[in-house]
Amino acid sequence: MKKIILIAKKEFLDMFRDKRTLMRMIMIPLLVFPLIIYLITTVQESQSEKEALKELTIGYYLNGQSSDMIDRMDTAAHFNFLAYEDTAAITADIKAQNINLGIWFGQDFDQKYSAGEQATCGIFYRAANSEEYERFDNLIDLQKEYLVQERLALNELPADYVQPVSFIMNDKSTVEEVIGKYAGGILPYIFMAFCFMGCMLPAIDLFAGEKERGTIETLLVTPVNRVHVLVGKMIVVTSFGLLSATIALVGLVGSLYLMGDGGALTDAIAKIVTPQLVITLYLLLIPVAIFFAGIMIPVSVYARSFKEAQSILTPLNIAVIVPATLGFLPGLELTYTTAWIPIVNVVMATKAIIAGNAEMGPMIITFVSLLVLSALAVFVSFKQFGKESNVLR
Amino acid sequence: MIIVDNLYKSFKLSKKQRKEFNTADIEAVPVDKISFKCEPGRIFSLLGPNGAGKTTTLRMISTIITPTSGKIEVAGYDVATQPNEVRKSIGFLTGSTGLYERLTADEVLKYYADLNYVPKAEFETRKKHYYDLLDMHDFAGKRIGQLSTGMKQKVSITRTMIHHPDVVVFDEPTSGLDVITAENIIKLIRDCKIEGKTVIFSSHIMSEVDLLCDDLAIIDKGKILYNDTMANFRANMKADSLTREFIRIVNENKKVNA
Repeated sequence: MKKIILIAKKEFLDMFRDKRTLMRMIMIPLLVFPLIIYLITTVQESQSEKEALKELTIGYYLNGQSSDMIDRMDTAAHFNFLAYEDTAAITADIKAQNINLGIWFGQDFDQKYSAGEQATCGIFYRAANSEEYERFDNLIDLQKEYLVQERLALNELPADYVQPVSFIMNDKSTVEEVIGKYAGGILPYIFMAFCFMGCMLPAIDLFAGEKERGTIETLLVTPVNRVHVLVGKMIVVTSFGLLSATIALVGLVGSLYLMGDGGALTDAIAKIVTPQLVITLYLLLIPVAIFFAGIMIPVSVYARSFKEAQSILTPLNIAVIVPATLGFLPGLELTYTTAWIPIVNVVMATKAIIAGNAEMGPMIITFVSLLVLSALAVFVSFKQFGKESNVLR
Repeated sequence: MIIVDNLYKSFKLSKKQRKEFNTADIEAVPVDKISFKCEPGRIFSLLGPNGAGKTTTLRMISTIITPTSGKIEVAGYDVATQPNEVRKSIGFLTGSTGLYERLTADEVLKYYADLNYVPKAEFETRKKHYYDLLDMHDFAGKRIGQLSTGMKQKVSITRTMIHHPDVVVFDEPTSGLDVITAENIIKLIRDCKIEGKTVIFSSHIMSEVDLLCDDLAIIDKGKILYNDTMANFRANMKADSLTREFIRIVNENKKVNA
């Protein structure tokens, strides 16, 4: 045991002094989410502000009808209305982007409206400029409402005449259930993606790297059992995977907290990220991290160089990412079947824990199957590390 | 003392390796039933061309790889049944030995001392001895990656000797080193002899062998072609120089096997 700790301690020291390691396993996971969230919210806010202040020019063709509606809309800020003699000219100017949108009236608009019938009005817009259309649509909605109320008043009908029933909606699902259903997959996805990346660099450096640097021979000549060497190094690989994933989660939760600024989002996060969830998550993810280390170490032991190991292991990322993304699919849940599928089971189990509807049977299967898998991975690593043809390749 | 008895090593060749080595053989035999003995207080040299089987032999002596058959005894311990005892008795140095670039010289030495069960007080005494001897104090706290080749070699030497091994194995220890750096190794080998240690070193440079060794074995294609004292080798030479004699023996063996 002493030798395992000695090897692990040295490897930790060695890895922590590697700038590449610090950057990829600590700095990037820590900063990636705050930066993404900051960029998205800042860009989105400034874009929305810019859009709201942008002057929109709306071409209109009255077609011999009253200009009442246009006059009312013309009072809105940041809208300019420009009269046209026909719809063809409006269309041409929208296509040339001289104006933003257009509106035309049917030739019997006033007559039909006065008669209590449905009058026709057309809109020209560009779907490619959806923000402009949405702003104008909001203005139109106000006019629709105005016209309905005006007609009801003319006929001496109450304001809610056209809404015969008022439905009172009452959502009984908890915040945890809603987040568990739609966003519960994100947490284990992030954890596993970063765990995999976190394991990769040490797995390569501590085996293929050691071979490449010519230090493996001197290590094997010391009176330390090879199993102890392997276990010491494996502890470091697994720990870095978990560390990287933890840092990524801290970064994500921290930036969401800051974004929530004490509001509903902050409350929701506090409700989800409970000590119980964190403990269960780690109980599931420690064997996953060992499993990751267990599949990476044999590859790294086999590889002649750092580069060779990296080129084999990088595509393996997909094998982890793809099943982890299944967590985003609505409807897929932790069952007695999905509990047997590695990675998928962790995602489903975490979703179920967040939603608060985890069943004991599939949870036990998930945990036990992950333990068996990690034990198998350790065994394969040991077999590969014991092969002299691999170690001295 | 090292006793090598009827040592044999073979390994299966993969399809790729067969193509690489341009052979139809299913098996490669880098070491073919060799026997020799290295005495304490004497320097034994394993001399042979590249690919002769020197490194494989030394790796088997050092327990890095296991023999297919035969027996090796190091400092009274059987390599097959007491590998950990053998490892405790061995110091191992090669020309291509690397060190952990991100650790300091002090940290590297402490790591190997701990791996070799060296008590703390003993470690400090030995470290001081080698730091004084090799003038290493100035760079003791520097990371290996910042050191020159010569400084690294000094750290490697101290790393090899930190647990005071009875047997020292050098596998082409001077290969790739400049004359001044190589001189440190030559001095180390001589010091080991003076201290009564068993020393085995492999080389393909006859002049180096002539300078150091007491006993000599010439190896080629996994077989021992010559095994005697250096004095007898010199006395019975048929060629006009040591290098030519070495080449003559190797070539003669090739003709016999042709």
